[in-house]
Order: sequence, then C-alpha cells, then structure tokens
Amino acid sequence: MDATGGKRGEQQTADEEHACCKVVEGKLALPYQYFAGRVGSRFIISLRDGKRILGVRCDACGRVFVPPRQTCERCFSDLSEKWVELSDTGEIVNFTVVRYEDRHLPRKPPFVLALIRLRGADTPMAHIVEGVAPENVRIGMNVRAVFADKTTNCILDIDHFEPV
Amino acid sequence: MAEFFGATVEDVFKTQDARFRAEDAKGVDAVVAYDITGEGGGRWRVTVRDSRAVTEKVTGSDFGAFTTKITTDAETFIGVTVGKIDGTAAFTSGRVKIEGDMKIVALLPRLFTKYSPPSRGVSARDIIATFPERFRPEAAKGLDAAIGYNLAGEGGGQWTAVVKDGRLEMREGLAENLTVNQTVGARDYVDLMLGKLDPMVAIGAGRLRITGDMEVAKVLPKLFRKYEPKEVERGPELIVLKKTISVGMRFSTGPVMGRFLEGLKGRKIFANVCPSCGRRQLPPREVCAVCRCRAGEFVEVGPEGVLVNVEICYYASPDPLTGETRETPYGTSNILLDGCRGTETFWHYIKREDLFDVKRGSRVRPVWAESRTGSVHDIKYFEMVR
Amino acid sequence: MKKPKKNRNVGIIGVGQTIYSSHREDVNQAEMVHEAVALALKDAGLTRDDIDCVVHGNMELFEMVHQPDIWHTIATGAYGKSAFRLTTGGTTGTTVVCAADNLVASGLYDIVVAIGFEKLQEGHTTGGITNMADPLWGRHLQTGALTDATAQAMIREFGEERALRAAMRMRVQMDKHACLNPNSHRSFGLDYSQIDDLMKNSPRLVGELRLIHMCSQSDGACAVIFAGEEKAKKLSDKPVWVRDHITVHREETFTMYSLDPADRDPSSHRIAAQRLFERNGITNPVEYFDVFEMYDPSAWWGLDWLRDFMLLDGDEHLKMVENDEILIGGKMVMNPSGGVVAANPIGATAIVRVAEAALQVRGDAGRHQAPGGVRHALASGFGGTYWTVLVMLEKDLDWQEVSADG
Repeated sequence: MDATGGKRGEQQTADEEHACCKVVEGKLALPYQYFAGRVGSRFIISLRDGKRILGVRCDACGRVFVPPRQTCERCFSDLSEKWVELSDTGEIVNFTVVRYEDRHLPRKPPFVLALIRLRGADTPMAHIVEGVAPENVRIGMNVRAVFADKTTNCILDIDHFEPV
Repeated sequence: MAEFFGATVEDVFKTQDARFRAEDAKGVDAVVAYDITGEGGGRWRVTVRDSRAVTEKVTGSDFGAFTTKITTDAETFIGVTVGKIDGTAAFTSGRVKIEGDMKIVALLPRLFTKYSPPSRGVSARDIIATFPERFRPEAAKGLDAAIGYNLAGEGGGQWTAVVKDGRLEMREGLAENLTVNQTVGARDYVDLMLGKLDPMVAIGAGRLRITGDMEVAKVLPKLFRKYEPKEVERGPELIVLKKTISVGMRFSTGPVMGRFLEGLKGRKIFANVCPSCGRRQLPPREVCAVCRCRAGEFVEVGPEGVLVNVEICYYASPDPLTGETRETPYGTSNILLDGCRGTETFWHYIKREDLFDVKRGSRVRPVWAESRTGSVHDIKYFEMVR
Repeated sequence: MKKPKKNRNVGIIGVGQTIYSSHREDVNQAEMVHEAVALALKDAGLTRDDIDCVVHGNMELFEMVHQPDIWHTIATGAYGKSAFRLTTGGTTGTTVVCAADNLVASGLYDIVVAIGFEKLQEGHTTGGITNMADPLWGRHLQTGALTDATAQAMIREFGEERALRAAMRMRVQMDKHACLNPNSHRSFGLDYSQIDDLMKNSPRLVGELRLIHMCSQSDGACAVIFAGEEKAKKLSDKPVWVRDHITVHREETFTMYSLDPADRDPSSHRIAAQRLFERNGITNPVEYFDVFEMYDPSAWWGLDWLRDFMLLDGDEHLKMVENDEILIGGKMVMNPSGGVVAANPIGATAIVRVAEAALQVRGDAGRHQAPGGVRHALASGFGGTYWTVLVMLEKDLDWQEVSADG
C-alpha cells in the first residue's frame, strides 16, 4: 500500500502486456437521411414516374451532365433549369467485375459494374450491367436501361442496363 | 380589394380581435398603428389594454396617439402575416418600417394567434378528423390515456383522444383528468404535422406546451401513422431518403486498456500512474498527455468512492453501439475513487433508484455484473452507500 | 510561447453565408455549400478563376457521407485546383480559417477560400458526437455535448437564484441579437419579462440545462475568402486583417471534475486567451475588443466562458450580463449575430463567428451592426473535449509586434 491507499503495482513485462491485448467487437449504428434537393428530386421523380432519364446542359461549356447537377464545376453556371432528356441507351466506356460478397453491395457476385455514357450525354454514370456473362462484356458495347418495377427513390429506379 | 397569398389586408384585420390571446396580454397597454401602403392597403389601429383588444379602421390621415407604428406595403404585410415572407428579412431590408416602441412588435406574435387564410390548405380540424384512420392499435397495447388537443385559432378547437384497450375514441372538448395535454396554435399544429415546424423549436419558443405524463407524451408519435397531406397541399416533391448505417467494428484494447478491462473481470479497478506528475489515470492510458511520458505503473483504486459530479439526463439519446434509444432519465457521474485525488475521477452510471437521492459528496460503491467480460458493463452502476 | 512568424499579412476580402434553418430539403449538400461560395465570391467581386486553393471542413459522421469534399468539388471551386479537407470537431470552422491564413501568409497561395458547412438535419448530431468518445469506455456513457456540470458549478459559486437568472438573461440577450440577424435559425422575440417563466418551464435536457439554453441543430454553410496583403488592398476597399490566431488542445475528458475547484487546471479557453493576449500586448481585453463572436453552445457555457476568454475574475462576467454590457451598444458586444444558440450548423459554426466578426469590422453587418466603429474583434471556436481556437481581426494594419521571441 502506498501513502494514498492504492496498492502498489508493478511494471508489466512484455509477455504480460501481450496477454492483455484484446480485440473487442463493436458496432456503429446511426440513423441518417439524405436530402436530394430540387435538382436531384426532379431527376429521380422522372425516372420513377416517367421512366425518362434527364440531364442538364451547360450552355457555356456545351457539356451534358447525367446525373444532373445544379452547378457546372468549371464555369459555375447555374444549370438547375437547363433540362434535357436523354436516350435510355448508351455505350459502356469502362467496367469492372465485382467478385467479392458484401452485404452493402447491390447484387450477389460476380456482377458487372460499368460506366455507361448515354447517347447525348458527356459524362458517364455508374450502373449494373446484366444479361451478359462478365467475360463477354466489352468497352463500346451498347446497352439499354431496364427500369425497376418497384421504386426505391434512388438511382436504382433504373434496375440495371442490358445489351441492346 | 387586392389579394396577396390568398388573403386581403381587410381579411387580416377583420379576424384580429378574434385571434387575441388575453392570457398573454396582462399588463400590456399599447396602441399599434398600421399604415399599409399601395394597392390593397389601408390604415388600422389596434388597441391592447386591460386584457382586451380593439381593432378599428382609420379613415382620416391621423392615427391619433400610438405606441408603435408599422408601415409597409400590402403584399409584404400579408406575406409576413401568413409566413410567406420572412419578417426579419423584410424589416432588415427596409420593406417594413417601425416607429416608436419596438418591444411591442416582438410581443405581437404572442398577443395574437397567427392569421391563416380561410380557404388555404388543410386545417387542424381536418387533421384531427384523420386520427381514426391513422390510429395504430398495435402501438396502443396496454395504454390507457386521455390525450388533450387544445388547438387555438382558426380551424382549431378542443379534442380529447381517449385510448383504451387498443381502441381510439375521439371526443369534442377537453376531458377532465387528461393524461397529457397539448396546447398549440391551430396553424402551428398543422405546420408541425406537415413537418414545416420543428417540435423542439416550437417547445423552445413556448408555442407548443405539453403537460402531464411525459412518459405517455413520448409514445404519442408512435400511436398514429404519419399524416400524409394531399397532393394539392404540397409544393414540388422533394426526395428524402432515410437510412441507418450499421457497420461492424473491431477495437484493439492495447496492453494498457486491456489490463484495465481484465481487472474489471476480477472486480478490481486499476489506475495507472504518471512517473513524472504522479497523477492516476482512469481508465489508464499509455502516456500522460500532460508530461508526455509513458505511464506504466498500475495501482488498484476504489472500489468505493465519493461522488463529484452527477448529471441527470432527460434527453433520450441513442446508444451509438446499438442504435437503440436509452431510457430516461438516467444519470452519469464522475466518482473520486478511494486512492485518487483532485480531478482523478472515474466515469460511470448512477443507479436509477438513487438518482434523486445522491448528491456531490455522497459515498458510492460499484454494483458488479454477475457475468463479467472485461467491459464498461462489468460494473452495472454505482449505488449509494446508505 | 513563441509567436509564429508571419511571412506576410493576410486580409479577409469576402464573406458568404446561407440562411441557417432546420431544414434544407430543397438543396443537397453540394448545392448548399455552393450558395455560400457564390455569395462570398460576389462579396469579393471575384470569379472562380481567381481562387488558388480551397480549404473545406465539416464534422465527421454527422451526415454519414465520407469525404464530402470530393463530391463538393463541383460546388466549391476546387475543380482543377489545390484543395484540403480539415475536420477537428466543433473547432473545424476556425481551423479552416487558421489554415487559410497560414496558406496565404506562407506565400504559397494568394487567394484561398475557407468553407465550413453542416446539414445536421441529415444526420444524428448527438449520436455522432457520442461516437467521438473512446469506443471502449466513454462511448457507452456520453450523451453528445449535453451536460449541466457548468450550471452546477455556477450555482455553487454564485447561488442558485443569481446563476439561473444570469444564464437566462444572457439567453434573452442573444435572442435580442438573433432577432436582428436575417440569417438566424432561431429568433423567438424573447423578452426579459419571460425570464422567470423560462427558468421554471423550459423543458430540462440535463439537470438545469434546459432546452431554451441549448444551441439548435441547423443546416447551413459559410465561406470566407483570404488574400495576401498586396492583393487584399487591391481587391477590397475594406479588407479585414487577421492579426493572430491560436489553437489550444487539452485532454480533459476524464479530468475536469473535482471536489475542490482549486484542483482544476485552467480551461483551454483561459490558456488560449492568456497566451494570445500576452504575445500581442493586450492587457485589458474587455477594453480592447469592440466585438467578441463566441462559440457559445449553450447559455451556461456562454456565461461561464466569458470569464475565461476576457480574463475576468470573480463575478465580473455576471455583472457584464446583468448590466447589459454585452448587448449591441454596450461596452464589449458579445455575439451581435445572436451566436451559436441562434444558429448552429456545426462544421460552419466556428467560421460563422469569424465571418460575422469580419462583417462587424467592415461595418457591413446590417441591422445587427455594433455602433461606434468596430476596430478590434475576437472570434472563438470550441470543440472536442475542450479545444479552443481564437482568431483576432483588425480594421487597420497598425499593430505593434510584441514579444516576438517571448
């Protein structure tokens, strides 16, 4: 016992230190929400209710953005009212095959995640490609959007793309 | 007369006296002159005295003696009145001018309930009428309560929702012996239901008052499905996605925290000591951040101690490790365990039953869990030594 | 403590703020941030091309979006330029200010935009804050930033009646200021006549910390543009000069309570104020500063911290509140904007203090402008487990270097 009543301890040896190292299982669980905003909402509602894919055109740069954005990052033009309707077909400009399983992923592996540039758009969007074996997917392949039967109020209102 | 936002200036002043709230006007003695300019404008004088309000139209150019004069155009006046134009912004930008006593202007929202245009949107009465269809019997199991709705102003009224045996009965008027009573302006109630007014803001501002059994008040939102306004009452749809993130994590204790947690398994509380300043760290940490040196030596402290700080928490916060809401009130405390000095306190819960008996200086002891795994929960809580 | 050498002077030449409110469903995060950036550029008379670097910050975990700065590149002006993300808890807003000042002072960049934002409605604030505690201990016990330990300590020191009344008086004073600020999230129109009612009836959160005392959860963004002395003088009629700033961190999570107040170490606020004022030769801060924009998360903290920041003793801070000396028109105006209790988009909250202090120095604060010409302003940030940032702003480049080696 030392003067303050605590029991005097000793320095730990390296082995003792190692024996005390544990891994504790934990979890992080928190609710949150996402506000799509006026521009994002119009894009999703158009997918959901009209099966139409909308983008916005920057008059200054001449580029068409899909999904739409309120501001052109280069010239800061306001694009929120510059709507254009796009084709539901486009080409694969790049792709990857997802081969690992995770509960956060939208499909069971293996599945194809591609960057697809719709006809009339300048920016590609990421989406799932089905109806073709992963080994047969090619850059330049033409694909068409297949809309979801049930809405989730997000980009998955396009369920996937499939070869034309 | 020109109409803005679905109302005329005349409409607003016609209902002025009916919207008066005598209970908040005690001691107020004021004459407010309104000079509403432009198309659809006019002049009015509102006198508040002896807990009464009298509104008169002024025909000549002379308002007579006034405490405060408000000058603005008809569109701004109606916009601010119905909440379509921000009052402070209109004032800041000079569209609203105020002469005389400013204090009365700040008091006006308390003296008169808010004007709502007669034909616009849904009323509080309409929403009350949807109670039976939105009632969730499964959420009302075992609940026996009379819940009062005291909704003053246009489209409002008084109702009591009687919930018993999983059934709901709506009655006009406020019952005696209410379990919970809610007092709020009818327009504010509609805004609350439409999500335009934040309940905490309304409570903070004294616009929503909830009295009675707070435990019952807390379950009220669960008793009814959310009110969904009809299409015409909504603006353009704005998408809000609600999610809960939930990811598994693994935390390494390291040797120092590991030794401390191991100690708890054996009902021992270990601090470690800084060799430089001598302070005891609880829980122990690898270094003393003040002296910037390794703190290696362990000493057993407690397990009893003296309460230094206790906080009684009424806010129902989620446990971030489970996402589940903690039961309130609960008490967290900082305890100076025997063998510790100064600020070397230990952070833990206080037994719920002791919450209102303990005070600074009370002697407390840990209550150990039956099964101990080397975690904060190895101590259930600290209780008073009686 | 040695004063950091400043390679060149730095001026604030543009300020942009969104309105602060409980809901911004009409814009996503990037769009809301863009509102503030566009307003700051307009205020400075600049375009996106003029920006050399962007410093972006907000709280981690609050909206559950990882690395929002990457997504926000479309809105901040960072496309194709240097950009940094900083996050230091509640102090984030002042940390981005310190970083921007350092980046410009160093000479590496001429024009830097500092941005703070938060959309608290999208996340769970108390849950997010609680997750900052030690996962093996504090995370199980903490309740976000809610505590009434300060209320208890003040009640012990000054008696229940005086402490409760002074805290509520300060709350009403802050609301009087908020009512003059068109950006305020909460402006209730409170009056001193309501003090007794609020002391009794405002709902309790923790002990004597009541709902009315506590800051709101707001959505909003703020951007401030910094420029080197030469450019600042060329681009702005009224640049506001950043004289000095200081950051003090402490680990007080477990060591801030004791039976005897004498056992407690001085707070990070007092340490920061002492060091900053000493190295700048300021002996009487209440006399020196015309305006102080304090990060006051609750009326209790605002009241208690006034003593630490202004290096006051005894009950001098209570007297300042009781005698209305902190009101607009008073001796040392505190939070003419209404402060954090009026609007609290956390990642933006601390930069809003600097932005508002700069507007006061410029004389451009509008309805909530402190009268008589503001020459010296102080802004504070607060975060973590007592972390402090202080930023000193000046109207004129006329200060004397003091104790450069001290």
